[in-house]
Amino acid sequence: MTAAAIDVRGLGKDFGAVRALDRLDLEVREGEFFGLLGPNGAGKTTTVHLLATLLAPSRGTARVAGHDVAREGLAVRRHIGLVFQETTLDRDLTITENLRFAARLWSLPDRVARPRIDAVLRQFGLWERRNDSVRGLSGGLRRAADIARGILTEPRILFLDEPTAGLDPRARRALWEQIRGLRAASGVTVLLTTHYVAEAEPCDRVAVLDHGRLAALGTPSELKRAAGVDSLEEVFLAHTGHRLPEGEGDGG
Amino acid sequence: MSGRAVYGIVAREFLRFLRQRGRVLASIGRPFVWLLFAGAGFATVFAGRNEIDYRVYMAPGLLGMVVMFGSLLAALSTVTDREAGVLRMVLVAPIRRSTVALGKTLGATALGTTQAVAVAALMLPLVHLRPTLGGAGLALVAIVLSGLALGALGLVLAASMRSIENFAGVMNFVIFPMLFLSGALYPVRHLGPVLRIAVLANPLAYGVDLLKHALLGAWAKTGYGGEMPVLLDCAALALFALAGLAGAAPLLAREGGLARAAFRERA
Repeated sequence: MTAAAIDVRGLGKDFGAVRALDRLDLEVREGEFFGLLGPNGAGKTTTVHLLATLLAPSRGTARVAGHDVAREGLAVRRHIGLVFQETTLDRDLTITENLRFAARLWSLPDRVARPRIDAVLRQFGLWERRNDSVRGLSGGLRRAADIARGILTEPRILFLDEPTAGLDPRARRALWEQIRGLRAASGVTVLLTTHYVAEAEPCDRVAVLDHGRLAALGTPSELKRAAGVDSLEEVFLAHTGHRLPEGEGDGG
Repeated sequence: MSGRAVYGIVAREFLRFLRQRGRVLASIGRPFVWLLFAGAGFATVFAGRNEIDYRVYMAPGLLGMVVMFGSLLAALSTVTDREAGVLRMVLVAPIRRSTVALGKTLGATALGTTQAVAVAALMLPLVHLRPTLGGAGLALVAIVLSGLALGALGLVLAASMRSIENFAGVMNFVIFPMLFLSGALYPVRHLGPVLRIAVLANPLAYGVDLLKHALLGAWAKTGYGGEMPVLLDCAALALFALAGLAGAAPLLAREGGLARAAFRERA
């Protein structure tokens, strides 16, 4: 068994009187494809932001890539990539300019950044549009550019926060294909949040979050077996007593 | 401190500025509109004095105004960065918040300086103002220091603003008072004690004063040149810049500041 890429103990976060995340315990292994499944407001994004050192924990601890998120933010951020729910690209710049900006923020020297930028542009099917302003791109291409930006720095751990939100089924399938290829090629640890059950299906392990609490944790087949049901949808129902909100069509 | 990250932030500010053609034209054109219209009106009031052509008197102040708009607006673009999500990407990069603050401030300074130098190259010949070499050098120092001070303070302002909708408020309660109490349009030494204190608290006042030292040296004896010691102007601007940087970095890191607003869970 390899060391934990992410080690979370009793992690919680309050926003004023709102308990966004109660007390979370989980471990994500190196190279694992880990899914956080739950409806909107379950605490998935809060968890990701805590692990990415963008929020300070209200209680508990978490180590990411061996570093404490509360005390070693800089060291944590050196090892992670984060693709946010909404695009973080500068719409006034081209795709290449956005990637170059990210490369500089991560202090990559030009001679390292240039071939990497070319590589991710090709890998994500953005090469032809590399000099187009982000403003004119489709949602699918923007998302692809966001993910290209997230992996440009070759993180050990990649957080994908609802990566397919707002994409049409075709763009969604293309994106899953790219994430599959990325994992096969680099062995990067991926923590995915989603409220689409179908998207959690290919994960190595899934944590079901509901109202800021961990409702269930295991491989998709373990979870189904334990609950005596055939689908993760029913697993969610069995653990939380309610259904996930209807997804908008095909989940990948 | 990461030099590459700072460079990246500055380079992006420039790219964005050059992309926004309207912004370029507005920043270059604005001082000439003032020179033309305000200059024409006030020149008639000043005419009787027969000491200095009002348009010449205005020139240093207008350069100060260009720096102010250039640097302050660039720093305020941090609010837009937050709304557009770009700030999230910057905050998840492996750099300190103080590096972000420094990059933003230097970017704002570079933009303000570029605009002011471009305007100076067009405006000074127009009003027949020929600075000495030393004067030109001091003017550049004044422009850069003003840019640093106003950029850093603009960043503090941006960190405490929720959205760019507050912009009208900033215009009315920050930009206009700063401009009128800077000595850019009229000498401030005759103002009453209360306004006089406001002048001393106004970073632009030191910038404009320094610009007058640099450009209106020939009129120093008639009372239209700089009024405060050059060193005091420089020290005050540097102090404003350092205070702004020191204030902006924790504001950027604080959850109650930009980070919190950018990362609040959507319930």
